[in-house]
Amino acid sequence: MRYLMTTKASDTAPDENLYVEMARFVEELTAAGVLLATGGLEAGGVRMTSSGDTITVTDGPFAEAKEAVAGFALIEVRSKEEAIELARRFRRIVGDGESVIQQVFGP
Amino acid sequence: MPVTDVHRTVDAVWKLESARIVAALTRLVHDVGLAEELAQDALVSALEQWPESGVPDSPGAWLTAVAKRRAVDRIRRSQRLERRHEQLARELDQRQDPEPQDPERDDVLRLMFVSCHPTLPTEERVALTLRLLGGLTSAEIARAFLVTEPRIARRVASAKRTLAEEQVPFELPEGSELAERLASVLGVIYLIFNEGYSATSGDDLMRPGLCHEALRLGRLLAELAPYEAEVHGLVALMEIQASRADARTGPSGEPVQLLEQNRGRWDQLLIRRGFTAMLRAREIGGTPGPYVLQAAIAVCHAQARTPQDTDWTQIATLYEALARLLPTPVVQLNRAVAVGMAHGPQAGLALVDSLTADPTLQDYHLLPGVRGDLLIRLGRHEEARLELERAASLTGNVAERAFLLRRAEEIAVAGTPGVTLAQAAGDFLDRDDLEAGTVRSYGQTLRRLRLTLGDQLPLASLTAEQVVRVFATAWGGAAAGTWNRHRSAVRSFGAWASLDDLAAGLDRRAETRPPTETIGQAKLEALWSRADLPLRERTLWRLLHESAAGVTAVLSLNVEDLDLEDRRARVGDGWVSWRSGTAGLLPHLLAGRARGPVFLTDRRPGPSRTPAESDLCPETGRRRLSYERAEYLFKQATRPLDPAGGGYTLRQLRPRA
Repeated sequence: MRYLMTTKASDTAPDENLYVEMARFVEELTAAGVLLATGGLEAGGVRMTSSGDTITVTDGPFAEAKEAVAGFALIEVRSKEEAIELARRFRRIVGDGESVIQQVFGP
Repeated sequence: MPVTDVHRTVDAVWKLESARIVAALTRLVHDVGLAEELAQDALVSALEQWPESGVPDSPGAWLTAVAKRRAVDRIRRSQRLERRHEQLARELDQRQDPEPQDPERDDVLRLMFVSCHPTLPTEERVALTLRLLGGLTSAEIARAFLVTEPRIARRVASAKRTLAEEQVPFELPEGSELAERLASVLGVIYLIFNEGYSATSGDDLMRPGLCHEALRLGRLLAELAPYEAEVHGLVALMEIQASRADARTGPSGEPVQLLEQNRGRWDQLLIRRGFTAMLRAREIGGTPGPYVLQAAIAVCHAQARTPQDTDWTQIATLYEALARLLPTPVVQLNRAVAVGMAHGPQAGLALVDSLTADPTLQDYHLLPGVRGDLLIRLGRHEEARLELERAASLTGNVAERAFLLRRAEEIAVAGTPGVTLAQAAGDFLDRDDLEAGTVRSYGQTLRRLRLTLGDQLPLASLTAEQVVRVFATAWGGAAAGTWNRHRSAVRSFGAWASLDDLAAGLDRRAETRPPTETIGQAKLEALWSRADLPLRERTLWRLLHESAAGVTAVLSLNVEDLDLEDRRARVGDGWVSWRSGTAGLLPHLLAGRARGPVFLTDRRPGPSRTPAESDLCPETGRRRLSYERAEYLFKQATRPLDPAGGGYTLRQLRPRA
């Protein structure tokens, strides 16, 4: 089963050590065949809203930037517990902040 | 944290970490069995301590450390390897940080080579690999393979014992040995994948858990042994095959063949991973091995946006190369499919037919399956149907069997579109067993039908209503004898062409004719004593004579209607009963058949619609014997008895009232 882990932007500035640890973590999960895809997301982005026949396009950045997703990881695991366990390790590396794990249905 | 949650977490940690833990321990104790035992002990400690202390920051490292400590304890207790124990203790002290990467990775690779060691039987390699590298329990492996847990436990135990007895070293094979050992690892992984992908038994077509395990093992191996093209080839092959997992079953679990799959449901993420793995294999270069070739074939399919875009010529070339490396009948069969697509069904069929004598394929359901497909494309529908039914009877998978049977039925409905009335009439008259007079007589009738209905009328669309119209116009005012002569021509033609009700709208007209003469007792005795005649004929004639029943009624008998003990059979509302002559012959004729028509034709059915289900023997696929044919055979056989030289009719077998 696949899970998508999304992580919100945080205030802590990443240090050199975090990059090294994160690179090792990603490498390890890729080697284990668990991590299918991962990436960071730009801060602003474009917002689209539709209402009736009108579609509105708004360029970022937006006021509530802290709620925005800053990165994602798509993992393939055998159980929800495995997903949680991996996310736990991830959070230990990145420090304070918030991630959401959701199961992905179908391709 | 509640205890059950801890259990689940421990289980998850174990599955993620077991390969590395067991590998590291095996390097210490040089025995995979002992290593796993120590790791399991550590797991028990985790279950005891984590509910209290919480899950540690690095659960894998925690488990490894605990297990290593136990390893050292054990070695210390054994007091035998004093020097090594010191060395171990030193090593353990030095390695407070349990994550220096490369030695650990190599340990996992070593573990793979050991658990797939050629000294073990294949099924033990599979069980041990899933257990040690996949972290599955015996119960989980047993569930995946639909066998009992004790059986898997025995396989694992036997494998560990053999490895210990043979003192299989925990090392990376080198030189010429590497190729063989690597082939074994790849073989085990692909076997696990295939068991998941095309479940060989059971109700479901796929067991995705096993595919997933194999993919993980393959991806892991690709990181551990990145300089082997075949490893990336295997990964590419599995990624691309797995990308079709959702598309290859329909709404009710039935298989959907590659070319019929909705390509929009293919998992592009996995396809891309497959392509990437393929590129890595190509970069390494060298002569492509069997996995790279198979992956290249999978890539060809994945690259085609529609089935029509498939580069079959390229695929056929790749299969040819593959068949040189792996000349197995299964590869040859797949090659035949590709050749059939690239160079036409006739070329494909020629290849398939060269395989039918291979004893290893004798019970392989895909052989008749592929043959059936090619025969359909050649318009040989009747043969195709039999092949698909045979394929269905050979597969152990329920979903696949249902699928094959439905396809066979569809052919029965669709029939042969190609045969026209003119062709059929020509073939019907151009037989060896018709007398010149009959050909002339039947020819008149059929010429009229062709003139009125058109030569190009598809035979399958010819109906009894059309025949009635032709008769009304052409012979409505003719004498009864003429009408009946044309009518019997249509009946005969209909029976031959498997259009059974063709004369249904034509009533027989009353003719003033002399009553049927019966055959004398002496001649009957002469007939009964002729053991050279076929058993079917002798049985039929005895039955007609002893029962005095109508010929049509007797020919319509089915095996299930018979009451052999009471010597009678149910026909409509009444009974047909017989005496000892028939009773002595019937069991031999039936020869154990339990269903279907009692009297079967020995010839292949003619073209056009396949006969009604009720006129087919479900066991032999042969058709019910027709009145016309039975009559013809009787006439032939009784010619020597008839002073007039023409032979008798079946009706004359009925004893005088």
